[in-house]
Amino acid sequence: MKAGVRGKAGVRVVRLFGLPVLLVLGWWLVSGRSFYLPDPVRVARAFGQTWFSARVFDDVLPSIGRLLAGYALATVLGVGLGVPIGLSPRLRATLEPVLEFFRAIPPPVLVPLLMLLAGIDTPMKVLVIVSGCVWPILLNTVEGVRALDEVLADTCRMYGVHGATRLRRFVLRGASPQIMAGLRQALSIGIILMVISEMFASSSGLGFTIVLFQRQFQIAEMWSGILLLGLIGLTLSLLFRFVERRVLSWYYGAGAARA
Amino acid sequence: MLEIAELRKVYESPNRSVEAIRSLTFSVGAGELVCVVGPSGCGKTTLLRSIAGLLPVSGGQVRVAGVPVTGPPPRMAVVFQEYGRSLFPWMTVRQNVELPLKEKRVPRPRRLELVRESLESVGLTDAADAHPWQLSGGMQQRVAIARAVAYEPQVLLMDEPFAAVDAQTRADLEDLILALWRDLGVTILFVTHDIDEAVYLGQRVIVLSSSPTVIMEDLKIDLPAQRDQLTTRSLPRFGELRGHIYERIQRAREAR
Repeated sequence: MKAGVRGKAGVRVVRLFGLPVLLVLGWWLVSGRSFYLPDPVRVARAFGQTWFSARVFDDVLPSIGRLLAGYALATVLGVGLGVPIGLSPRLRATLEPVLEFFRAIPPPVLVPLLMLLAGIDTPMKVLVIVSGCVWPILLNTVEGVRALDEVLADTCRMYGVHGATRLRRFVLRGASPQIMAGLRQALSIGIILMVISEMFASSSGLGFTIVLFQRQFQIAEMWSGILLLGLIGLTLSLLFRFVERRVLSWYYGAGAARA
Repeated sequence: MLEIAELRKVYESPNRSVEAIRSLTFSVGAGELVCVVGPSGCGKTTLLRSIAGLLPVSGGQVRVAGVPVTGPPPRMAVVFQEYGRSLFPWMTVRQNVELPLKEKRVPRPRRLELVRESLESVGLTDAADAHPWQLSGGMQQRVAIARAVAYEPQVLLMDEPFAAVDAQTRADLEDLILALWRDLGVTILFVTHDIDEAVYLGQRVIVLSSSPTVIMEDLKIDLPAQRDQLTTRSLPRFGELRGHIYERIQRAREAR
């Protein structure tokens, strides 16, 4: 019995860490053949030296701050516009083709334009993030609100559930699975745009620093920056999953009950 | 309590119009339990949604306690057929029952009392903190009934509420409705496609024709007031009434 439990835990550990360990070993084998491919130990050392320093405050935290600000703004905008559009068929008919067009524009090409309009500082970078994140949130919110259950809508009308309560207890909750799907897409887009917005005309931030290392041939440092971006992305996605599990517990529960 | 006068409903679309209900006139007295039966597709749900103020009518009028219906009347509750879709899956049973009372601004102590009483009356006291999807279909419909009861309506509309539950559960829920109706003195309009159910529950049964709908018969059910699944259903009179209605509905279908 006890051996069995330990065996199971062992299997889980192998599942969780097996592939990462293999990947690092593979990296080790191919590294060193090229100047541009430093071995894991060098990158780890560079990681410590580069990022456990003032850079946390000068580059990392401002980058993450801009990401979160842009993401939050896009959420407010996307949900705020998506709800009325989803509720009104007329508004939807008018706006949807235009929205699809705007969504089709790749946000990085907006960087030169936004530089002209908003300068090269924080507002421009946040705007770039917003311009990319807002679309999946907006379109998913519209879809979620549009597909709200008619019987529940009738139930609200019959029992006098209207106004802010209706919005909060019915519309937003009912659309939350789709809204969360939009937020998930927007998060990965946001991380990409955070880096891209810092690669143009910038003097700080993660994207800027990685490009700087590359230009100065600090190859291990450059790799450590990429590693850090990966870790930030992973952390944010784990956080997201944690929040999603809580917000949508009813949704997963109902899904499991139907299956 | 409920007066339906020359109700007419035509579904208009750009290239054609469908006359669902031609003309319906009937009334339901205060405290009465009236069943509406008809062949499938005869506009039962259209009728119910019109009475509930969820659907604009094309002609005629619906009055509840003398007041013409233009939107959902304040003291009317509906139990829909689709129990799985009429309860909020993100709320617990208790929250589902409580929400309409909050909107009605019932003070909290009274609210809690109503929630407790109504859940007790449908036998779901222990399930108050469960989510609807954790319950069986019959239990979910009980929650919807509890929500309607807690709302303290004058008129309760039921749209084929037991069409999607198994036979045993259905019999239990029918008796539950009879008990609640007797205890609360509420006026009930019960729409069903099941003739047996209509005869078993109703004081009157209104038989509808196929669409465009008119009333074929408004039949008084002269069975003893105290109904019982076993004895009532085996009364000779029960069989006669059922046979009579069955025949009318067959004729309605042939006339189409």
